Amino acid sequence: MNKITKRALSGLALAGAASLVLAGCAAAPDASETAVEQLDYLACAVSDEGSWNDKSFNQSVYEGLTKSRDELGVQIQDAESTSPDDFAPNLQAMIDASCDLTIAVGFNLVDAVNAAAEANPEVNFVTIDGWSNGATNLKPVGYSMNQSSYLAGYLAAAQSTTKIVGTYGGMQIDAVVDFMTGYYYGAMAWGADNDTTVKVVGWDPAKEKGDFIGDFTPNSGTSKAIAAAQLQAGADVLFPVGGDQFGASSEAITESGVDARIIGVDKDIANTSPEYADWILTSAEKRMTSAVYDIIKAIAVDGQAFSGDYYIGTLENGGTALSAITNYTGAQSQADIGAKLEELKAGIISGDINPLG
Amino acid sequence: MNADSQPTTWSTAAKEIVSGGAFRAFLSVILGFIVGALFMVFSNEAFLNALSYLTARPTDALGAGWTAISDGYLALFRGSIYNYQADNFVAAMRPITETLRFAGPLIAAGLGVALGFRVGLFNIGASGQILFGALAATWVSTRMTLPWGVHLVVAAAVAIAAAAAFGALVGFLKARTGAHEVIVTIMLNYVAAGLLTFFFRQDYLLREADGGGTPKSDAPAETAQLPTLFGDSFTLHAGFLLALVGVVIYWWLMERSTIGYRFRMVGHNIDAARTAGVNVSRTFVYAMAASGAFVGIAAVNQALGARAGLTPDLDGSIGFDAITVALLGSSTGPGVLLAGLLFGAFKAGAPAMQVIGLSPEVTGVVQGFIVLFIAAPPLVRAIFRLPPPQKSTVIADWWVGLRKKKVAK
Repeated sequence: MNKITKRALSGLALAGAASLVLAGCAAAPDASETAVEQLDYLACAVSDEGSWNDKSFNQSVYEGLTKSRDELGVQIQDAESTSPDDFAPNLQAMIDASCDLTIAVGFNLVDAVNAAAEANPEVNFVTIDGWSNGATNLKPVGYSMNQSSYLAGYLAAAQSTTKIVGTYGGMQIDAVVDFMTGYYYGAMAWGADNDTTVKVVGWDPAKEKGDFIGDFTPNSGTSKAIAAAQLQAGADVLFPVGGDQFGASSEAITESGVDARIIGVDKDIANTSPEYADWILTSAEKRMTSAVYDIIKAIAVDGQAFSGDYYIGTLENGGTALSAITNYTGAQSQADIGAKLEELKAGIISGDINPLG
Repeated sequence: MNADSQPTTWSTAAKEIVSGGAFRAFLSVILGFIVGALFMVFSNEAFLNALSYLTARPTDALGAGWTAISDGYLALFRGSIYNYQADNFVAAMRPITETLRFAGPLIAAGLGVALGFRVGLFNIGASGQILFGALAATWVSTRMTLPWGVHLVVAAAVAIAAAAAFGALVGFLKARTGAHEVIVTIMLNYVAAGLLTFFFRQDYLLREADGGGTPKSDAPAETAQLPTLFGDSFTLHAGFLLALVGVVIYWWLMERSTIGYRFRMVGHNIDAARTAGVNVSRTFVYAMAASGAFVGIAAVNQALGARAGLTPDLDGSIGFDAITVALLGSSTGPGVLLAGLLFGAFKAGAPAMQVIGLSPEVTGVVQGFIVLFIAAPPLVRAIFRLPPPQKSTVIADWWVGLRKKKVAK
């Protein structure tokens, strides 16, 4: 080792030691009061295998939980699952921790949360994307994602220059297919309005056949291969429905050289994943953060009784919505298409338009 | 003896790792817990905050560090052995029953991997054998109607037979073609996972009756479910008893039976065994079949211990945890039993640790370091070609010297 590196290293070591000593010299804090009044209400959540930072529905729920803690002053606890073996023990841990409300995230937990609700009638549960087998202390939360996806499909067809738009899913399950079906009919509706033939690749609701990755692994090679194949088939707007697939889609777009757009799902990905901002057209949001917040607020703050009624997020109650439009370069002006989307939204809310065909 | 079968540094290391003594295992566990404690301290927010004013008020950092460790391990205790905070008997006793429930498949699969180690085979395919066994068990438990009692026995027997056959296939390929069992078992893990997913996805095969596109099976028929041991308040089921029976059979097989003697001979020195007249190829097939059969007990636990439908990841991490269980248990029956109970406790305690805000990875870190401490000394020696450690004679010399002095007097 030559002298210079030795000196540089000792200098580095000195700086490191100094920073440690300096760091240790800060004044001790005094006991301070917390800003929000603390409530005696314990809200808890158990994730599925996706973990709380999945940039998708687990994360949305967790943000709802932390928002409730910060703004309402409720106490929170949480547990992540790493395998199906963890679902029941994690829910049990929440019951043992005397949680007032336990949120089970994802349809994978539906059996475990139904069993837990039946065995513990004094504890309240919420199942996101699941259903209740009849227990009154279990509230299912679901979303009519076809409504916002219909708007997304309409916008996609307006944006597309080839008039071919693509979509693919994580797995062929109801919670995913709902997006894709709405998207399909939305794109078809634009074609009918403008006397143009629009083609949707990746999903055919009539035949129930389409492109699926097979799992929800973020940005897998399969995901990229499907995206590349759809671009090859002429699609220039992609709607990947499977959590975080935006990296795979954007890579496929970059490599193909097509001037294509991505439509996000679950969250406004222009906010949550700004690294993909160049390709994002809009997002079909599943606003679980606000649903979780509202449910906790209604009970813990407003003093309402817990009900096992189904909560369905729709365009009407704001549970689902289309995010702000960016990177729009379609033939119609953005103002025109924006006005048209508002008109469609009103039509869906009033029931005049059926986003499922 | 031909040249290439001279015991190499590597094979010595491998033998040393899988036959590590009880004392070394115990020390490794202690060291693992110490590393886990450090992990908890240095991931603790209160401790890190207090560290920034260490010189102004050092008690804060020390206190926070101590609280982090004691809270963490007390939560592990509450979650895995006895919940002293519970307000009723059932809740207080549930943790220990959960530990036993999680330990069942770990012990069974650990025995399977341990048997392979004793024969000199690395069975990395426990996960695939569990999936294949569970596939067979699920077919019997959801697609066949049999009377109470018979149904369970048939389903369990079919699962064990299927897992044994899946294992025997590996032994056959090794014996016939010389294919390395590590490669074959890893590849068969993928085969089993793909096959199971395919079966669980097709409605004409094993998909749940009113399910959507999710690959998921029906819940096993009530006649085929492993009965619970202490009523409906506890989920502990008879699968744990099966694992205990497995431990006894394993002990008898390896320590008392003729075939077990052949297994050990082959594991100890394959050439000597061949010279002594042991049919080595056949022993490989039998050993892998026996290994698969023990893993099959884990498949029974997972497939028939469930009360709800199964998903393709039903094996969890058991297949790989089994390797660590076998290593920690020194590949002996009682050792695997104790190691399985320890790792079962880790699994059962993880939710309680999460509730107090510890990341679930802590127990994984502890688990990993335990194995590292067991495997590392021989590995390090093998990498740097160091000689095996000399047994210390300091105390003996001193003792002998003392005696001599006395005699001289």
